[in-house]
Amino acid sequence: MRIGVFVCHCGSNIGGTVDVPGVAQVARAYPDVVFSSDTMYACSEPGQAAIVDAIREHALDGVVVASCTPRMHEPTFRRTVERAGLNRYMFEMANIREHVSWIGKDREANSNKAAELVRMAVEKLRLNAPLYPKSFDVTKRVLVIGGGVAGIQAALDCADGGIEVVLVERESTIGGKMAKLDKTFPTVDCSSCILGPKMVDVSQHPNIRLYAHAEVEKIGGYVGNFKVDVRRKATYVDWELCTGCGLCMEKCPSKKSPDAFNEHVGVTTSINIPFPQAIPKKAIIDPTSCRQFVKGKCGVCAKVCPTGAIRYDMEDQVVTEEVGAIITATGYDLFDYTRYAEYGGGRYPDVITSLQYERLLSASGPTGGHVKRPSDGKEPKTVVFIQCVGSRDRSVDRPYCSGFCCMYTAKQAVLTKDHIPDSRSYVFYMDIRANGKMYEEFTRRAMEEYGVQYVRGRVSMIVPQGDKYLVRGVDTLLGEQVEVPADLVVLAVGAESSHGAPQLAEKLRISYDNYGFFMESHCKLRPVETNTAGVYLAGACQGPKDIPSSVGQGSAAAAKVLGLFSRGRLESDPQISQVDVRRCVGCGKCITTCPYGAIEWMELRGEMKARVIETVCQGCGICTVTCPQGAIQLQHFTDNQILAEVNALCLS
Amino acid sequence: MPVLKGKELRVVGFLCNWCSYGGADTAGVGRFSQPTDLRIIRVPCSGRVDPMFVVKALLGGADGVLVSGCHPRDCHYSQGNFYARRRLETLKTFLPALGIDPDRFQYTWVSASEGQRWKNVVSTFVEKVHQLGHAPRIEEAAPYLPLAEKGDTLPAPLRPLAWPAAGTLTASLEQLREKIRAALPELDCVIGWQQGFDALHATPLFMRKPEDVDKLTWGPLNVHNLATYLPQFKNRKVGVVVKGCDSRSVIELLQEKLVEPDNVRVFGMACEGVVDVERVRKAMEPAEGAACTDVAPAAVAVEGDGLAFEGDTPVRLKLADVVAEKCRTCDTPVPLLGDVVEGNASAPAGPGPDAPPSLEALDAMTPEQRRGFWRAQMDRCLRCYACRNACPMCVCRDHCIAESRDPHWTTQEGNVREKLQFQVIHALHLAGRCTECGECQRACPVNIPVLALKQWMNRSVLTLFDYRAGVDVNAVPPLLAFAVEEKNIKEHGL
Repeated sequence: MRIGVFVCHCGSNIGGTVDVPGVAQVARAYPDVVFSSDTMYACSEPGQAAIVDAIREHALDGVVVASCTPRMHEPTFRRTVERAGLNRYMFEMANIREHVSWIGKDREANSNKAAELVRMAVEKLRLNAPLYPKSFDVTKRVLVIGGGVAGIQAALDCADGGIEVVLVERESTIGGKMAKLDKTFPTVDCSSCILGPKMVDVSQHPNIRLYAHAEVEKIGGYVGNFKVDVRRKATYVDWELCTGCGLCMEKCPSKKSPDAFNEHVGVTTSINIPFPQAIPKKAIIDPTSCRQFVKGKCGVCAKVCPTGAIRYDMEDQVVTEEVGAIITATGYDLFDYTRYAEYGGGRYPDVITSLQYERLLSASGPTGGHVKRPSDGKEPKTVVFIQCVGSRDRSVDRPYCSGFCCMYTAKQAVLTKDHIPDSRSYVFYMDIRANGKMYEEFTRRAMEEYGVQYVRGRVSMIVPQGDKYLVRGVDTLLGEQVEVPADLVVLAVGAESSHGAPQLAEKLRISYDNYGFFMESHCKLRPVETNTAGVYLAGACQGPKDIPSSVGQGSAAAAKVLGLFSRGRLESDPQISQVDVRRCVGCGKCITTCPYGAIEWMELRGEMKARVIETVCQGCGICTVTCPQGAIQLQHFTDNQILAEVNALCLS
Repeated sequence: MPVLKGKELRVVGFLCNWCSYGGADTAGVGRFSQPTDLRIIRVPCSGRVDPMFVVKALLGGADGVLVSGCHPRDCHYSQGNFYARRRLETLKTFLPALGIDPDRFQYTWVSASEGQRWKNVVSTFVEKVHQLGHAPRIEEAAPYLPLAEKGDTLPAPLRPLAWPAAGTLTASLEQLREKIRAALPELDCVIGWQQGFDALHATPLFMRKPEDVDKLTWGPLNVHNLATYLPQFKNRKVGVVVKGCDSRSVIELLQEKLVEPDNVRVFGMACEGVVDVERVRKAMEPAEGAACTDVAPAAVAVEGDGLAFEGDTPVRLKLADVVAEKCRTCDTPVPLLGDVVEGNASAPAGPGPDAPPSLEALDAMTPEQRRGFWRAQMDRCLRCYACRNACPMCVCRDHCIAESRDPHWTTQEGNVREKLQFQVIHALHLAGRCTECGECQRACPVNIPVLALKQWMNRSVLTLFDYRAGVDVNAVPPLLAFAVEEKNIKEHGL
């Protein structure tokens, strides 16, 4: 083999604490090294050109670059050697910046360490082999999980881009949290007026297949070729026939079904269309309260339905969809404020969540848009908002900021003044986080134009007093205790991960953090990608987000999917495991341990052997360690390649 | 390349690409100063780190080895670090058996964002290694051979050893023969024992015709574990006669699907212990230097708690004095599966408090003595691989990595390091699979107590995973599985 070594100064980043020319000189004596030089910036255009020239001039068939971390420039240099006609895997990198020059000042030790790292890279490179990616077909359809605003945006952008979309929504209507909002900050425009048309677009788009009241049950396959089982939960109404006329709701005698859409402010009928703009606008029966199900007799809806759509004997149905990519947009849940005993732990009827208040403000809500106290229906004159309920609080394991509560609280305080001009609003806050376009201005307006009283401090206790609630807290700016007698207390509850998020993550094989939010591939540079190829994130499933960010991510994820599908075929990473069938004894241990199901049995001359499904293998190497004969080897990280590095350090 | 004298020690790191390597990068970007000793090898996942890499480094002169991966639940490959945790913890508990300080090996979890944590991990670990100083090399240890020569007095067995009276024994054997004769037409062959080249040695018997069954013998000389032959009979119908301990090997082979349940017929006999032929020979040796043919008895008879050797000079030995080591702590005298002839074997005693004698001896040594011990033993090792060939669980057969070039785990050099490396490979490959049948040790022509390494490993596996091999056909061996929360594995606090 003819190896070339290029040791980079990286200006003074490496050269400052490493004898770069010295390392290059030592490297010349390493086995198979025929060329070695130092270079000021290996990654620069002249730096790369020098590598290309040297490969040609010295007929090199392998290159080692000693510079920064391979996590930064390995792809760069792989392209460089490829330009010179080498296979991209005939290249190794020694990290002498992040792992050497930046972490120590001892020039002798650094230079010695750098030389050793180069030696290891050379020894590994000597055992490298050219690898070639395989290409495979792509199913150009995308699954979007979650029909909130992020999922809607992603679905519409993908559909407009010309690919088929399967949109799966857990509830019976899409719209998510945004559909429950009355107005949105900072423009105070009507939420359903801006979301409604998008929802209609989803239902009418020829490229979108919507499964509402359905959940993803099983996901198999890999990027380009996922197979997804979707469980369509029984609605007890044939949606093909239901016209959404609402006659059944009018006549339904069972009127005590929990009203989830209205955040349990009041109750609703057992057969129900959640709200007038629901998409799909179809009725669904709640079997836990429906008399037909509970008592076994009623059948009123079946009698009145003009199209005969009621099906009491309906069962769940599982459909299988084949898609090439998946966008998860499963959103968030609200923090359960009843964990705070100081706010009544859920015992006080007039201490409500911000989303419940949103429903009270909404014209389509249970009170028709008139703000009334849940306890007695009276109009509140003094409303107290408490921020950071379940945000920035380690005591309830929610140390993170939910991001949007400051803004919606300001909006709700403004709306309160609009609805009840003679009302007074107080906001207890920790810090006002208004870091969006026009956000700071909006909170200012709330204070200055609408006279909302902002009190910087926490509330220690809410005490019922007559028909009022005494909110006791501290004003840390004044440094004194304050008490506000409130008619209504609104808790700005924070966001937490959607229930079932970790289970979904396991099915998708993506990571999630301690709080159940999905992990993006890189916090800055790959914010909507996950570490599983072909699975993307949009919206608050990745972390709390406001509407603009969620929509932005929806579009970003769609752009990623469209980019992925713009290629007719996909290339698989050749750094995958490979079975030496002569060594394989067919014990199947690798099949047991593979986390991806990427190894299958195959018959070879009457004997069972293991075989790697190239497109499924992700290249972790768990199988290589499992196999006692070493018959299954992870390419580019074979036992011999790693042993060469160990031996370079230990035996020589 | 030598380490910088006086400044550095040789510390090798294996870091997963996604989390810990990134964490080390983050520490670099943050200019967190760290000891310069560490050399990092990048691997895709901590699940790629073969514990044998660690052994290779430590036997090859590394003073410390550090493995770091993504935090549990955060693995880029979702499960790699869960497997790594089990493998590496098992290794950590095993290293002391070789006389290697387990503090020289550490594994931990560092994410890509934890630059500060990485600095702390490296600093703490390297400081610890510096406290320990240069790792002593096993091949340079002073030879240490404390074990009593075989044939000397050993502690009494846990279970009273007494063979049934000759009459009942004959009845049981006849019962067994009947069963085999009845089943033989459906089987290609049944594997049992017959008398070997002299009265002291039994030898495997492959019964194909009914008259072959008459040659079947039963007694304390049936030392071989015949389950070893089964994988070779894959896809053929075969019967095998087993003792209690042998039956666990059959279970293990069934569990690993290396024999099919439909193709194997197991005939069991309750066992009262087998002899250690070497020990018998020692006991009978008339004088120093006499050739072993001199002591070959004309016949051996079982008499209650002893063996009577008929010949020129009749000898009577107590079974307890010449019984194989593994029988002393046996808790499965009755086979766990198959068509069993109970005979009048005593009920199995529970596992006793005592460790097996070799393991006990190893336990009693200091780390330095252990290094000297293995150095001395490996000096004698002929590298004949008899231990491997006799092992019923060494199913790789011709593909053993001890002799391959790809992968090239051991060289053919006849030195202590390479020989010990092979013994470690054997022990690690048997983790969670070894039934302690003792064939490795019995087969060793130079009597190296290699079983002690496996006994050590088995004790680790039992402590860590509450698991014994060869008991349940449907169990998943602990190193092929993981738990998200490991009950018995504590974080090591780096």
